[in-house]
Amino acid sequence: MLWYKAWLETRARFLTSLATLTIFCAVFVGHAQGMIHPEWKADFNRLLFVSQQFIVIIWILAVVLLGMGGIVREKAIGSSSLTLSLPVSRARLVGIRVGVGLLEALTLAVVPWTTIFLVSSLARMPILITQVGFYILLLVGGGSTYFAMAVLVSSLVEGEYTSPAVAFGAVLLSAIIFDAWLRPYNLWRLVTGDFYIDRHTYLLSWPFPWRGTLASVSATALMLFASVKAIQRREF
Amino acid sequence: MTDAPVILTHGLTKSFGDAQAVRGLNLSVGANRITAFLGQNGAGKSTTIKMLLGMVRPSCGEGTVLGKRITDAEENREMRRKVAYVAEDKPLYSYMTVEQTVRFASSFYPDWREAVAGRLLNEYKLPSQRKVKKLSKGMRTKLALLLAFARRPELLILDEPSEGLDPVGIEHLLQMLVAQAADGVTIFFSSHQIAEVERVADHICILDSGRLLLNASLDQLRQSYRRIDLVFASAAPDNEFRIAGVEKIQAKGHQMVLFAKSNAEAVVERARDLNAVSVEVAPVGLREIFLETVKEN
Repeated sequence: MLWYKAWLETRARFLTSLATLTIFCAVFVGHAQGMIHPEWKADFNRLLFVSQQFIVIIWILAVVLLGMGGIVREKAIGSSSLTLSLPVSRARLVGIRVGVGLLEALTLAVVPWTTIFLVSSLARMPILITQVGFYILLLVGGGSTYFAMAVLVSSLVEGEYTSPAVAFGAVLLSAIIFDAWLRPYNLWRLVTGDFYIDRHTYLLSWPFPWRGTLASVSATALMLFASVKAIQRREF
Repeated sequence: MTDAPVILTHGLTKSFGDAQAVRGLNLSVGANRITAFLGQNGAGKSTTIKMLLGMVRPSCGEGTVLGKRITDAEENREMRRKVAYVAEDKPLYSYMTVEQTVRFASSFYPDWREAVAGRLLNEYKLPSQRKVKKLSKGMRTKLALLLAFARRPELLILDEPSEGLDPVGIEHLLQMLVAQAADGVTIFFSSHQIAEVERVADHICILDSGRLLLNASLDQLRQSYRRIDLVFASAAPDNEFRIAGVEKIQAKGHQMVLFAKSNAEAVVERARDLNAVSVEVAPVGLREIFLETVKEN
């Protein structure tokens, strides 16, 4: 039932984000492909690349919101005593919330790109499924760090509105700092595919950036571990 | 009745910065009793309960609930399986309906009694499909109590359970407490409503400024505490009554009022030796005992 609770807690945020992303992708790609001739393949691929930029923006906003919540927020709104009196360890409470959040984040990546794939195929401008897979892997593998950061912030910062404000501030600040001084490690450029796009064909060029993605997944794991520890140590 | 304590603490202390919320608490709560935990606001009652349930870590000292160490996370989790708890603010999930809340809570406890939950839903007139955020304060309190009463725990901990209830709801609550106790459930509850406490509790603990000032059975308190009114022919000789057991002496002219927590017979004997014109001994209610105990501290 903790899965059910986590789903009830996040479903409004998740469904709103999913609808926004899916409608945006369908309308954007559907509208744009009507203006493009089949021979202008590179332009269409460029359009997909631009779509990914927009998807990343909305996806990050969504996963940061999905990462909010948990027992610290419950303390702020006065329901933490009920959760903490359950015969469940705090690690399990965090683990289930993270599990539901990651599944939702994955869905938020897969559904919009599947929509793009279907709309393009219906309009006789098919795109390679490998390119779709590449974009999704970049989004989930790299972008999960943003989700983990949101979970960590929500485990450390109390307050219904303070926590999202801090999380969004951290996303913005990290984007600015990395782009200015640590560009080769800029997560944003990894997730959008900016590092791997061929500027002539506007296709993502293989091999897949496993090292960057693994580094990102490791950072995710580290932040989630830190979140569990923070919740275990915290007093309510 | 067994004498093994259900709750046992030794030197339990909690500090928040420089402020000590609970100071060296040595508490022992016996099984199969209704124990009331009394104290003023900020006395440390809720902090103590939170320490028992592992929500707050003690600064020092130790304790066990149902034989499980409160500071060991795994033992504490095991213990919570057998303990039902209703917190002071009656926490519930606002986004769930009444039915979802009941179904959610029932899934965690093997001692859940479906029939009792259904009966209480009817008695409390709780609308199953209504979201918790749309319930009145009284209904929320009833739902929080239902989640505890639908179980058959070994220990029931209630923090200010009657807050938000109307007189009918309070009456029902008191009856439920007595019924649970008769069913072998140990009850430990905090309250400011002394009249209610006096009706159901058989053991009283008074906490003030984080210190346990009193831990005795209600019968024992009723037998030992006395108010003694004395009248003398001349000025009341209050200095003659500073004897063991006398807590307070109020002398005014020829009259004197004494509050004794024991030794009332000695006071009466002394009064007769001093030729008191009138000697009246009366039992003392819990309210007065509480006020005098707290005032003295």
